Amino acid sequence: MKKFPVLGLILSAVILSIIALFLYNPYFIYSQYYEYTGMPAYEAAPPPKPKAELAKPVMCDEDYPEWRKAYTIGGMDIQASDACNPDNPYEVAAFVRGTNNIIMPVLMRTQLSDDAVVKTDDLDGDGDPDNITIRIEVAELNGRSPDELGFIPGFEIAPGVKPGAWVFAPKSRGMSTVNRENLNANHLLRLPSAPIRVEAGDNITLILENTHYFPHTVHLHGVDHVFSNNDGVPQTSEQMTMPGEQHLYKMKPRHAGTMMYHCHVQVQVHMMMGLQGLFIVEENKPNNWVQTFNVGAGKVRHPSVGVREDYVQEYDLHYQAIDTSLNNLIQTTNDPRQLAKKMNRLYDITDGTDDYFMLNGRSFPYTLRESLITVEPDQHVKLRVLNGTPEVIALHTHGHKATITAYDGVDVNPAAKITRDVYTIASAQRIDLDLYTKDDGLHSYGEGAWLMHDHAERAITTNGINPGGNVSQIVYRKYLNKNAMPNVEGVSIMPYFSPEYYKGELPTWSASDAFGWWDDVAGKSVQSYKDVILLIVLGMLAGVLFLLFNVMYSFLHDVAVKLKDRSR
Amino acid sequence: MKALNVAVLALLLVITSIAQAEMSHMGMRMGEWGMVMNENLQDLPQGCLKIAGVQKITIKAGREYAKPFPGTIFGYSQHEFNLPKCTQINVTFINEDNIRHQFMIHGLPTYLHPQGMFHMELYAKGEVKGTFITPSSDKTYLAHCDVAQHMEKGMKAQVKVGDGSGNLPSIPGVSGQLNKDVYALDLSVANIILVILLFFLGLASCLFFFIWRKH
Repeated sequence: MKKFPVLGLILSAVILSIIALFLYNPYFIYSQYYEYTGMPAYEAAPPPKPKAELAKPVMCDEDYPEWRKAYTIGGMDIQASDACNPDNPYEVAAFVRGTNNIIMPVLMRTQLSDDAVVKTDDLDGDGDPDNITIRIEVAELNGRSPDELGFIPGFEIAPGVKPGAWVFAPKSRGMSTVNRENLNANHLLRLPSAPIRVEAGDNITLILENTHYFPHTVHLHGVDHVFSNNDGVPQTSEQMTMPGEQHLYKMKPRHAGTMMYHCHVQVQVHMMMGLQGLFIVEENKPNNWVQTFNVGAGKVRHPSVGVREDYVQEYDLHYQAIDTSLNNLIQTTNDPRQLAKKMNRLYDITDGTDDYFMLNGRSFPYTLRESLITVEPDQHVKLRVLNGTPEVIALHTHGHKATITAYDGVDVNPAAKITRDVYTIASAQRIDLDLYTKDDGLHSYGEGAWLMHDHAERAITTNGINPGGNVSQIVYRKYLNKNAMPNVEGVSIMPYFSPEYYKGELPTWSASDAFGWWDDVAGKSVQSYKDVILLIVLGMLAGVLFLLFNVMYSFLHDVAVKLKDRSR
Repeated sequence: MKALNVAVLALLLVITSIAQAEMSHMGMRMGEWGMVMNENLQDLPQGCLKIAGVQKITIKAGREYAKPFPGTIFGYSQHEFNLPKCTQINVTFINEDNIRHQFMIHGLPTYLHPQGMFHMELYAKGEVKGTFITPSSDKTYLAHCDVAQHMEKGMKAQVKVGDGSGNLPSIPGVSGQLNKDVYALDLSVANIILVILLFFLGLASCLFFFIWRKH
């Protein structure tokens, strides 16, 4: 079996390898021996990749710009809003008056059920109702469909970003999607869970109607309530509310302040899925009709009497984070039994890392559409901030030092009030901020379109792509353009509205890079005679190696045959 | 100020009493019980000479009806309805859960039903009646509850008018999923033995074929 001269084959393999190495990268020789070899010839670096053809994105996808003006509906004043997508004023009116106290044409302009917010009986004769019944449902966003690959009902937190989520939403009527063709969620079903407002001293009945496929409860975090059958903790105070069931939570809160509510079933899963929201108890004042829900959080278009005494405007700011390895589980199977196992037993939050960071249910740049804080000079603006993320956040306001007036719904001693520009907020903690826009070099440095974001740097990204995350802005109205967007003077923010940007397909600085300095580089292609020879040599090398293996096989085969013969 | 308060409250009471009553608006019945939208009691669909007859159907909705179908949470008492053409259908919709459920038929003629939709909804336990008239052609219509994830978790039915036009996907007890769930292998002894047995049956038949060919 000496058909092939083995030594010759090995020699050829070695020689071919060396030639290939030289052709592929001769520079390790040049860098040391250029004095003897002379300089290598110029070789142009690969050209840039052709630029992707992108559809021109829409910055403000306004549906009802007329909703931005101030309204008076049912005798209730509804403040103007500067947002690209302002809250529906008719819905705000329904929340303020109660769905039982508005006329049919107003209710028809909302998508609320008749019994979503029922307000009756002025027990203390102070001009506002005192028996309040609030109904909430549990809705899934971006869940799986057994019939198609898209997620239903769809909700984008940023361009092209659709993580799975669950939310508490006001009881609605009709379809969960926009219609049968547009499978995006209707506007009531969205992150964050809607902030709820009540008046101190009112008889509140909060009814959880579990429309979801897992058990849930409501824990009234920080809100004055009796314990029994009412604390939302399945291990201590009550049974879980099963799918198709409802549970009544009763309270008559004595203390006013910024609180929260959240589901207390498998908290590490259900809270992070989005079942958490602001719960605000307003001071008891005469004629105090409070806006029971503030869907999507952000600007409160009908602030309470107590807030209006000290502030011109009020905003709800709810910070949240999403770990896609938890949230997107609901997109992997439609079977609730498999989901329960994957979410409760296989997912391990101690190994989790957050990927998306949201303010009021959206990440930058969609925060610009609905979560801008728009101000005039010399205004006191009340900000109620909830940290719903599993980490401490370090909220930073550019150009402003705001004053913390309350922690967890308890006023700070006036003498000890802290004014600063980074506010540390622990998980589930709430702070009330007095943002004072007086240009005095302390509270404000003057007019502008100032940034506002969590300064833990991961939180200004969307899955690592910056700018994203919970970045939003404090914008002086002078700096608002007619499309309800901040008139920014720097780099164009247009590319950030393309889904490709957050998929990492667009070079970061493409909008300002006229020279193409940081374009994506195209790959190596066959260009010079060297490349041609290199490929041929590699082919030859493969051939030689094949022959070598052949020889080795023959050798081993012979050995095996001999061994077999000997054993006989 | 006091007088104003009283006035506001009086107004409130009046409005409340109106709101309590059942309201009708743009072909729609609505109240604190729920709503019925886009009913059709007398308009003939195109191609129907007259209303051929009257038929009653009853649909019960609730989690009870999910029991026969593993992996679902909600369901209807019946997931397929076979209805004759040009017939007035009197639907009784019963909700047995303490949450919102719907029975919504899609794809009906848009000149009779805005958005092609006949919609019954109950905000809690209860019962409501509604009417529509079946069109004159053979077609299968989707009926479902569109509360988020209720259709996906079992509240999906099909309404076959005449001979229908085939089945819709993932109707419990009728048709399969297009975007199918994947399940792990059952590792019980019996199942494993069966798997191995069938596998070797295939292998043996293949080998037998080759041996037989050689001879």
